[in-house]
Amino acid sequence: MSMDSPRRSPDDHHPTDTSELQLEIESILLKHLPLDPDSLPPLQRQQHLQYLVRNLVQGFPSRYISQDASQAWLLYWTLQSFGVLGVVLDPGNKQRAIDKILAWQHPEGGFGGGPGQAAHLLTTYASVSALAIVGRPGAGGGWDQIDREKLYAFFMSLKQPDGSFLVTHHAEVDVRGMYCLLVVAYLLNLLTPELLQGTPGFIASCQTYEGGFSSASQPYYTAVAEGWGTLLEDIRPSLGEAHGGYTFCALASWVMIQPYLEVSQSRSTTAATTTPTTTRGNPSIDYKRLLRWLVQMQGSETELGGFKGRTNKLVDGCYSWWVGGCFALLASLGVGGHAHDAGNQEHTADGNGEWDDDTDESVWDKAALQKYILCAAQHPAAGLRDKPPKGADAYHTLYCLAGLSAAQHTVRPLPARRAEIDQAWCETLGSSHQQLRRVAFADALAWSEEEGLSHVLGGSVNRVNATHPVFNLTTTHTQGIMSYFYKQTVPRRT
Amino acid sequence: MEEDQGLFADRPEWADVVPIEQYEGAPPIAPIFYTPEYKDATNYFRGIIKTGEKSPRVLDLTENVIRQNPAHYSAWQYRYKTLIALNAPLDAELELMDELAVTYLKTYQVWHYRRLLVQQTNNPEPELAFIANALQSDAKNYHTWSYRQWILAHFNDDALWRGELAFVEHMLDSDLRNNSAWHHRFFVVFQSGVREGDEDRDVVLRRELTVVKTKIAIAPSNASAWNYLRGMLDHSKTPYSTLRSFVAPYSVPHPEQHEAPLEMLWTLRIPSHHQGLNYHASQQLNSWRISMKPPVEMI
Ligand SMILES: [Zn+2]
Repeated sequence: MSMDSPRRSPDDHHPTDTSELQLEIESILLKHLPLDPDSLPPLQRQQHLQYLVRNLVQGFPSRYISQDASQAWLLYWTLQSFGVLGVVLDPGNKQRAIDKILAWQHPEGGFGGGPGQAAHLLTTYASVSALAIVGRPGAGGGWDQIDREKLYAFFMSLKQPDGSFLVTHHAEVDVRGMYCLLVVAYLLNLLTPELLQGTPGFIASCQTYEGGFSSASQPYYTAVAEGWGTLLEDIRPSLGEAHGGYTFCALASWVMIQPYLEVSQSRSTTAATTTPTTTRGNPSIDYKRLLRWLVQMQGSETELGGFKGRTNKLVDGCYSWWVGGCFALLASLGVGGHAHDAGNQEHTADGNGEWDDDTDESVWDKAALQKYILCAAQHPAAGLRDKPPKGADAYHTLYCLAGLSAAQHTVRPLPARRAEIDQAWCETLGSSHQQLRRVAFADALAWSEEEGLSHVLGGSVNRVNATHPVFNLTTTHTQGIMSYFYKQTVPRRT
Repeated sequence: MEEDQGLFADRPEWADVVPIEQYEGAPPIAPIFYTPEYKDATNYFRGIIKTGEKSPRVLDLTENVIRQNPAHYSAWQYRYKTLIALNAPLDAELELMDELAVTYLKTYQVWHYRRLLVQQTNNPEPELAFIANALQSDAKNYHTWSYRQWILAHFNDDALWRGELAFVEHMLDSDLRNNSAWHHRFFVVFQSGVREGDEDRDVVLRRELTVVKTKIAIAPSNASAWNYLRGMLDHSKTPYSTLRSFVAPYSVPHPEQHEAPLEMLWTLRIPSHHQGLNYHASQQLNSWRISMKPPVEMI
C-alpha cells in the first residue's frame, strides 16, 4: 500500500451536520495513523493494569456518581478487563469484591446497582458475571448466597406477553435486559420453556430494514385502559434504528435461545401428526441483511478500521466488541464464511458446520480493528476510550479490550468438544427441564479458542486472552460457574 | 423547585428519618468518591425505602437524588410509586419533566418516566411538539426517537399521525444523512399500518421511490438513503432489477465480475472510498454474496 493519505469520506458537495462532524473526526483520527505501518504503538498493558488497579483499590473519582446505580457494572468492567489481560486478583481483594456484590442482592431476588437499590436485569447480569470471575462455592464465596429461586421469580415478574422483559419494575423493555436475563439464566441453570416462551418472536421483531436490531419493538397499537391491547402477529414495528449495542444483545440472545427452539421443535416433531408444521409461528431473522449491516459498520482506513454503532454515526471504541463481537456469533449460526449458505437456518450452534481454515477469509477486517484500538483507542496516559481526544473510562476499557480479543482470536463452537461434553452429562435427580438444560450446557461450553488461528497485530506482546463470544467471560470462568450450577463434571480438553 | 436548603441531615423536618449508610463495616473495594450532598441524599433515600414511606417530602428527596444522578433508576421508580400513591397532580410533574428531559436528554429514565406519566394522563397531544424541540438540540438521540415512535403507535390517533411525514421531511431537509430520521420515515410509511389517503400502496411506493432517488441524487454517498431504498424494495418485494438504470451511473465495476448482480450495487460502492483497508473485507462480502442463493430478486 502506498503512503498516500487515505481517502476522506466524500460529502458530495452537500455538507450537513453529519458530514461536517465526520470530517472533523477524520482529521483527528488521521493524526493517529502510524507513519510507518510496520511499527504500531504496542498495547500499553502495564499502564492499563495500573489504571484498573487504581480504580479498584483507590476508587473512582466523583464524576462516577453518575454511575452510582451501576456499581455492579463498574466492578464487572474492571474484573473482566483483568480477565482479558490475563490477571488474577489476590484472594483478599476477591473476597472484598464478593462481599460488595452480595450487598447488592435484593431481598425479593435479583441484584441492584448498589445497596438498597431495586433489582434490575442489567445490574443482575453484571453482579452474577462478576461473581463468575471472583466467586466460589461455600460460605462467603458468593455462589451459594445467590437466591436462585427468588431470582427466577423476579425474572418471571418482568416477562411481558410478547416475549420481552422489563428491565425492572415500572421501567422500559429493551433487548439489553433480555440479553442480561438470558446470560444469568444460562450461568445459573435457570432455563425453562416458560421463561423463553415468545422470546424468539420478540427478538425477530427488533430487526430493522437495515439488518441490525433496535432497542425494542411495539407489540400492539391501540392503547387500552388496562393491560395489553391485541398482540400484533405480523408487524411489530421496531422502536429506534439499527444500533450496535442492541444488535449484539439481540444476536447473542438469538444464539442463546437455539437450544429452546431445538428442543421444542423436536418435541413437536415427535408429537407429529398429519399436519405439516407451518413456517408461520417460527420466527426467523434475516442473516444476510444482518451481515451486510455489520460489515458496513466497520470504518474506512481514514477511520482506522474502528466500528460505528449506527449508519452515518462516528466510530467508537466500544463497538469493537458490540459489533466486532457479532461476527463470531453469526459464524456459530453458519453465516459469514464465504463458502456458507446463509439461507440455511436449520444450522444451529451445535451443528456440523464446515469451517474455512484461514481466518483471513473473514468478512470483516480483523487487523484493521486491532489498529484502531492500538492507535486511537488507547489513552496516552492509561486506560482505553471511545476515540481521541476523549478520556478513558471503565466501560470503554473493557469493551475495547474485549474487541481486541475478538479481533485477535477465533473462538467457535467445536462439534467434537460439544459431543464430549454432552456424553459426559449426568442426569441430576430432581432437576426439571433436563433436555433443554443439557443442550444449553453443551452449547455454551463447546465454544473453544482455535489456537492456530490467532492473528495478533504487533506480535505476541499485544496478545490478550480469548473471551466467550456470548457471555464476555473467559472460557475458564464460564466453565467454572456453569459446571457448579449444573452439577456436571466437564471433561478435560484433549 | 428545589432551592438549596443544605443537607437533609440538617433539616428539622427530616429529623425523624434514620439515614442508612451504603456499606457497613470496612470501606468497600472500588468505592466512588461521593460528594457530601450526594451521600447525604442517598442515605436518606435508603432510609425512606426501608420504612416504605410515600409522602410529599419523598418527592422532594427523589428530585434531589435525580438531579444529582439522573441515572438513579431506583429513585425514579420510587418517585413514580409515590406519585401514584399520593394521587399527585400529574401536570405539575410533567412540567418538571419538561425541564429534566432537556437537561438529562441522554438517560433512559427520563424518557421512560415520561411514558408512564403520559399513559396516566392519556394526553399525548403536546408530546410531538415537545419531542421535536428536544431533537433540535440532539437530532439523533435514540431515546427521543423511540419515544416518538411509541407515542404514535401506542395512541394510534389519526391526529397524531397526520403531520408525521412533513416532520420527517423537515428533519431530512436539515440533514439528509440523519439515519434516525430515515428510520422514522420507514416506521411511518411501512411499519405502522395504513392510514387514510395511503390505501393505494403502489402510489405510496412510487412516492417513496421518488423521494429516495432525489435524495440519492443530492448526496450519492449517503448510506442512509441507500439502506432505505433497499429496505423499501425488500418490504414491497420489488425486484432490484427494476432499478437497473437508476443505479448504474452510481456503481463502479467489480474487479472480478463485469456484470455484477444488481444485488451488490451498494456494496460495490464501498471499495471506492474504502479502498485499501476495507477492500479485502468488502471483496469477501461480495464473494459471500455471490454464493447466496439466487435469484436475488426474489427476496
Ligand atoms: Zn462508546
